[in-house]
Amino acid sequence: MQPENVRIHLPGGMSMPPFGVHQYLALMIVAVALWALGSVWMGLQATEQWVGTWQQQMVLHVYLPKEHKTRLEALKTDLQSIDGVASVDDVPRDASARWMQQWLGNTALDVQSMADKLPETLVVHLQQNERSHFTADDVRDIAERAQASINQDEIRLLDMRDLLDNVAILAWFVTVILGLAMALIVSNTLRMILLARADEVHLMRLMGAKEWFVRMPFILEGLVLGAGAGALAWVLLWPWVWGSSAWLAGSGVSLEAWILFVPLLLGGALLGCAGAMLATARLVSPDSVESA
Amino acid sequence: MISMQQLMLRYPTGKVALSGISLDILQGQFVYLTGESGAGKSSLLRMFYGGLRPTSGKLSVQNTDMRKAGEGEVRAIRRRTGIVFQDHRLLFSRTVFENIALPLRVQGWSKERLIPRVRKVLEFVRLEDRLWSYPEALSGGEQQRIAIARAMMTTPPIVLADEPTGNLDEDTARHVLDLLMGLNQLGTTVIMATHDLHLLQSHPGRVIQLHAGALVEDSHAT
Repeated sequence: MQPENVRIHLPGGMSMPPFGVHQYLALMIVAVALWALGSVWMGLQATEQWVGTWQQQMVLHVYLPKEHKTRLEALKTDLQSIDGVASVDDVPRDASARWMQQWLGNTALDVQSMADKLPETLVVHLQQNERSHFTADDVRDIAERAQASINQDEIRLLDMRDLLDNVAILAWFVTVILGLAMALIVSNTLRMILLARADEVHLMRLMGAKEWFVRMPFILEGLVLGAGAGALAWVLLWPWVWGSSAWLAGSGVSLEAWILFVPLLLGGALLGCAGAMLATARLVSPDSVESA
Repeated sequence: MISMQQLMLRYPTGKVALSGISLDILQGQFVYLTGESGAGKSSLLRMFYGGLRPTSGKLSVQNTDMRKAGEGEVRAIRRRTGIVFQDHRLLFSRTVFENIALPLRVQGWSKERLIPRVRKVLEFVRLEDRLWSYPEALSGGEQQRIAIARAMMTTPPIVLADEPTGNLDEDTARHVLDLLMGLNQLGTTVIMATHDLHLLQSHPGRVIQLHAGALVEDSHAT
C-alpha cells in the first residue's frame, strides 16, 4: 500500500513535475507581458469603438459662395446622388444666426447681419461604411466642380481610420516582438530546470527512453506555464475595464474584455510550448543515442 | 551474448582507448574487467550499451551490430541492459520507489503495475522496508543495493557494473557482490569493471584484463 503522505511523481511521459519558484517567477513575468499586450489590444478596441460611434454621426459641411447661390439646388441634387450619402440638408440663415448668438455668449452684436455674410451651407450626412473615405472624396469633387468648398477638419477626422489601421499594424508588431521575448523567457526558465534535472534525463536515456518521453514533461510545463500566464493576464485586465468604464461610457465606448480570454489563453499556451521546444531542441546527454 | 573482433575505439581527440580486442562473452557468465585507471574498462562497458560506437572492428551485443545500430536498436539494447555505476547515480529528489521504477517507467508501465514489481525487486536486495524512503536516508551500501535493484528491474539478460564496489568498505562490497552473483545464478550475464582484485578470491569469475586499451589476459581463454 502507498502511504497517504507519499505522492508519487514518476518522471517522463505525460507526468508534469510540480511547479517551483522559477516557474512561478516566469509565469509572473510572462503574465505581465501578456497583460501589456492585452492592454494594447483593448486600447485599440476602445479607439475603434470611439471612431465607429463618431462615424455613425459623420457629417460633412459644404460651403457655396453667395455669388453662386443659383447652383445650390443643382449641387444639392448632385450630392444626394452620391452612393454612401444618407441625406443632404440646408442650413437656414436664421439657424446659423441662432447658433452664432449662442456661440458668442448671447452677445448684443447683430449676429443676423454676420450670418447673412456666411456662404450657403449644406450638411451632407454620410452612411457608415468602409467606403466613407471614398464618399468624402466624391463629395469634395462635386463641391469643387460647383466652386464650393468642404470642411477640411471633417476630412481629417475621416483619415483617423487610416491612422487606426497603422496603429493596428504597430500593435501586431509589438505582439510579435513581445511574443518572441516571452518564448525566450519560458525557454530560459525551462533550460534552468532542464540543467537541474540533467541526471534524470541522462538516466532515462540510458534506460532506453524515447525522445518524446524525455521531452514531454518540459513541453507540458511550458504549455501550462504559458496558459496560466495568459489566464492571469486576462484577470489583470479587469481593473482596467472597471476603472475606465464610466469615463469611456461618455464617449460611447464599452470595453469587451471577454473576447480577449481565448486569444490570451491560447496565445500564452502557444508561446510556452514554443519556449519549451526551444529549450529542449539541444538536449544532449553524455550517452544519448544522438551523441554516441 | 557479446562478440567482438579487432575492436578499436579512438576518441575525437585522437586518443586510442581500445585497440585490437577480440573476445566473446557467453550468456550466463560472470566477467570481471580489470586493469589500471585509463585501461579502457569503462569505455568498453559504454560500448556495450551504445554510449560509444566502435571506430573499427566488429561488436555484436545481443545479436545487434553496434557499429550499424540505429537509434531504435540502441534503445532496445538499453531496455534489455541493466547498468550499475560506481556513484550509483540515484536521483536524490525522488523516492526509492521512483528510482527503482524508472527502467520500466520509460517502457510505459503504470504506477499500479510498478508497485508490486518494485516490492519484489526490493525483497531481492533485502531493502523492502525502504520503498518510500529517499536515497539520502540510506547508507552507501544500501544506495548501491538500490542501484542494483534498479538495474534488475526489467530482468535484463545482461547487467553492466562499472566499479560498483569502488566506494564501499570490504564487507559492504562483498555483500553487493553477493547480490550480483545471485543475479548471475538466475541466468543474468554480469560484466563488472573493478579494481578490487581481492574480491575474486571469494567470488570467482572470468577475468578479462586490459592494459592501455589492449587485452592482456583472459582467464576464460587460458
